[in-house]
Order: sequence, then C-alpha cells, then structure tokens
Amino acid sequence: MAFASLEFALFLILFLIAYWFVFNRNLRAQNIFLLISSYVFFAFWDWRFLSILVGSSAISYILGVFIDKTANEKRKNLFVFLGILQGLGMLLFFKYYNFFADSLVELCKLFSVRLSVVELNLILPLGISFYTFRAISYLIDVKNELIAPAKNWIDYFAYLSFFPTLSAGPIDRARTFLPQLENKRVYNSSEFYNGLRQILWGLFKKIVIADNCALITSNILDNYQIMPGSALLIGAFLYTIQVYADFSGYSDMAIGIAKLLGFKVTRNFNYPFFAQNIAAFWQRWHISLTSWMTDYIYTPLSFIFRTYGKAGVILAIMINFVLVGLWHGANLTFVVFGFVQGCFFIPLILTGKLNNRKPVQQIKLLPSFNEFRGIVTTFLLVLIANIIFMANNISQAAGYYQHMFSRSLFSLPGFKNSGSVITMIVFCLVMLSMEWVKRDKEHPLYFSPTKSAYAIYGRLALVFVIAWAILLWGTFGNKTFIYTKF
Amino acid sequence: MIEKLRTIFVSVLKHEEFEMTDSLSADQVNGWDSLTHMIIITDIEAAFGIKFKLKELNKLNNLGNLISLITEKTGQK
Repeated sequence: MAFASLEFALFLILFLIAYWFVFNRNLRAQNIFLLISSYVFFAFWDWRFLSILVGSSAISYILGVFIDKTANEKRKNLFVFLGILQGLGMLLFFKYYNFFADSLVELCKLFSVRLSVVELNLILPLGISFYTFRAISYLIDVKNELIAPAKNWIDYFAYLSFFPTLSAGPIDRARTFLPQLENKRVYNSSEFYNGLRQILWGLFKKIVIADNCALITSNILDNYQIMPGSALLIGAFLYTIQVYADFSGYSDMAIGIAKLLGFKVTRNFNYPFFAQNIAAFWQRWHISLTSWMTDYIYTPLSFIFRTYGKAGVILAIMINFVLVGLWHGANLTFVVFGFVQGCFFIPLILTGKLNNRKPVQQIKLLPSFNEFRGIVTTFLLVLIANIIFMANNISQAAGYYQHMFSRSLFSLPGFKNSGSVITMIVFCLVMLSMEWVKRDKEHPLYFSPTKSAYAIYGRLALVFVIAWAILLWGTFGNKTFIYTKF
Repeated sequence: MIEKLRTIFVSVLKHEEFEMTDSLSADQVNGWDSLTHMIIITDIEAAFGIKFKLKELNKLNNLGNLISLITEKTGQK
C-alpha cells in the first residue's frame, strides 16, 4: 500500500475515524489499535514477512528487559551484542547476501579458486533497514542508561511498526517516540490541518516533481552514450532534484500522517539544497539516518581514534560515509558514492570549517554573494556524486562522466521532448523557490496563526493551486518510492 | 580547574567568546564541533591524567556536568 494510492487514502480515513472517535478514551486500547493497524498496513504488502517484524520486535524487547535487569556490565554488553547480531544478521541476509556471495566468488577467481555459491532470489522485506535501526538504537540507549526500557511490550511493538514511518522512515528514536506512546494524545485541530497540508506538499513533490523527473532521467540514463554532455548535465540536475523530491516528499507525507494521529516525528530534511558546505548538507539531508550514524558509528569511532587528531576524524568520517553508502543497498556504486561523500569532508576538516556556526540571522529574500557561492558549489558537488548513485554499475557511471565532461557539454542538449524538459525544470525551480522563501518553516505550506483576511484567502488559494497542480500534472498509478527499497 | 579548562578551550577553539558558566553547552560556542570536541576531550584527559569512557561523555550536557565528571574522576585516583 503506497502512500500515494487510493487504497491507502481509504485505509487512513477509516483508521482515523476509529482512532479518534472510538479508541481515544482508553490509551491502551488506542495503542493496541495502532499496533494492529500497522500490522494490517504491513500485511497488505506481504503478510509472510510480518513474522520477521514481530520476531525482531519480540527479541529486542526481551533483550531490553534483560539489559535493564542485570547490573553486570559484561552481560549488558553481551545482550546488546546479541540484539545487534540478530538485527544486522537479518538485514545482511536479506539485503546483502547476493552482494557478498558474488564478491566472494570474484575474490576467489583472483586466486584461481573456483567457488560456486547458491544465488538466492531474495525480496527485501518492507522497512527492514528502518525498524532494525530503531531496535539497535533502543538497545544501545537502554544499555547506556540514556532511556528507560519500554514500560510494556505493546508500546514497544507499536514503536517499531508505527505505520506512517514503517516503510521508509524517518528513523525515530525511542527517547522521543516512546514517551508519546505512553501519554494520551490530544486532538489539536491546527496540528491536524498542518499535517494535511504537509501531506499535500509531500504529494506534490512526489507525484508532480519526482515521478515526472523520473520519466526524463531514466530515458537520459538509458541513452547516455548518444546524448551530448549538456543533456547529461541536465539529466544529473533533474535526478538530484528527483531523489530529493521523492524522498523528502515521502518524508513529508509520513510526518504529516503522524501529525494526524497526534504524533510528532523527527524531521528528515531541512532544505538541504540551501546548505553552504557539504557538512551542512548532510546535517540537513536524511537527518534521521545521519544523526543515527553520528551517534552510533561516527562518535564512537572518533572517540577511539581521538589521539590521532585530524587524521582520526578523517578516518572516522570515511568509515561512516562508506557505511552510509552501503546502507542504501548492496551495490558497489553505493560504496563508491559514500567514499566520494567522505572525501568531500576532508578539506573542511583540514581547514577547521567542519561546523562553523554563525549567529542566527534574520531570514532575507536574497542570499549574499558568499552564501550563493556556497550553495551553488555544494549543489554541484552533490549533483556530481549523485551520478554514481543513479547509475546501475560503476562502468555506467564512468561512461556517464566521460560523456558529460566532453566538448559536447557546451553544445545544445537537443532533446526530442524539449518542451517537457523545460516544463520540468520550471517546476523544479518553482518548488525550490517556494522552499527558499519558507526555509525557516518546517514545510512551505506551514502557516503561522493570522487574523488577516488577505493572508487567509492567499493561503487558501495557494493550497488550491498545489492541489490543482497535483490533479493536473501528477503521475497517478501507484509508483513506489525510491527509498522503500533501501 | 575552571582556569585549566578555559586554557584548553581557548587553545583549541582559538577564541574567547564564551563564558565559563555551568550551563555552557557546545551548541552555544562557535567552532565547538565534533572534531574540536574530541580534541578538547583528549587535552582534558592529558591535563588531568584521567581517561573518559564514551558512555560518560554521552551523558554530558553542559560544562557543569563536565566539571563534576572530572572532579569525580580525579577524586577516585
């Protein structure tokens, strides 16, 4: 059941009626209803994998209790280790088995050893990367006494399977999410409407921007050998916008749906394209994953390497980003993508500009020259790295670069469908301009309270224009989100 | 101890635009990022002859916490 589908809309409406009107009197009943609904949502996709979700929830819940009960530090570590082993074991098996099996066969070939391994045709269980990361952070935080273990299993199971964020995040932490399950949710109409508008904005980004971009970019990628460099540059530009619109659109919908249920979910994007260096970009892109990686990979590593100074930080960043890349899937392109992103940090670390905080300035309509230069440079770096992300394999990425950075970069792109390409670029610029103007708000359709009639009519008109754009230019037909396959 | 810490902060951060109060936290100080944080921690370990655990550092929220942690650590010796 994809968010942008009629069956999901129906499911959500029925769910909300029962959630607010029937089960709102009793917190426990409401949580049980939420849990069952999340499992129904999951079962629509594939009921067989429900056992893995329930099993992982049960194991990590029990380990959490054990970690809390024992005073022995070694035993605590053992229980955390078992939890990580179980979670990552499942993840490695489903996501990376074929990748490692193939790599092993190739490696053995180098030493003239013939090896045959069974190729498994595995489907990736929905959301496994996301709920596994939730479970692991929960166990580590309980061990480090940053949070108390969940008070009952229903809350914990509902946390891991919370349907708005089950299929592709954000990866909420137990420390912010469990308390929301333990306390009664109060209906707040302004948050409810804010949630609806955030869903609308997410839908616009997904089915107007991302899906239409996808039609153009997949065509360019398939025919990159016969296209001029300038067309490939436009392709990379549209792909960069596409990935953002797809995933941030999904995230806005997930966060908006959670708001309809009275939940506040971690923000996943903070207008990354307005970042002025690559470190700031990653603090604003897929925030729930990067902050997870910072807490559980980068910080421990930089702590271990702390006596090596800057070299230690570089090493920690490189390992961190190769793992970020690998998290996206079992393909060498993702490893190289992560490595390249890590390399982008090295100049920042060496010049001590990793995290230069500036005093908060009033939001202005136009950026200063320095800001503009930083934004454009960062965007170009991201665009260039995204070609590796887009390609199906390394040689395709290399070929794409070769054709793009050729003399034909300075010729006319010569698209057959130049009308739709230009329309799409205009759409992308409209989306970016709206985000730029509202960059101090959570999403462009967020409105601060006002009593002015002009403002109210203006906002209403804006919402209608967006809804109208969705109906007019949206690609309907149940396309899945890029990130549900990670 | 405050003076000793202040010297370390200034030498790593290369500026003095902060006040040594108990509620001082990293996000109030320009240039105090994950890189300088680890350098500061390493310098404190060397200056006071102590070793931190990652678990202890994770719990720190502000300068007050850091000072009581150092007091606790140096007291144990």
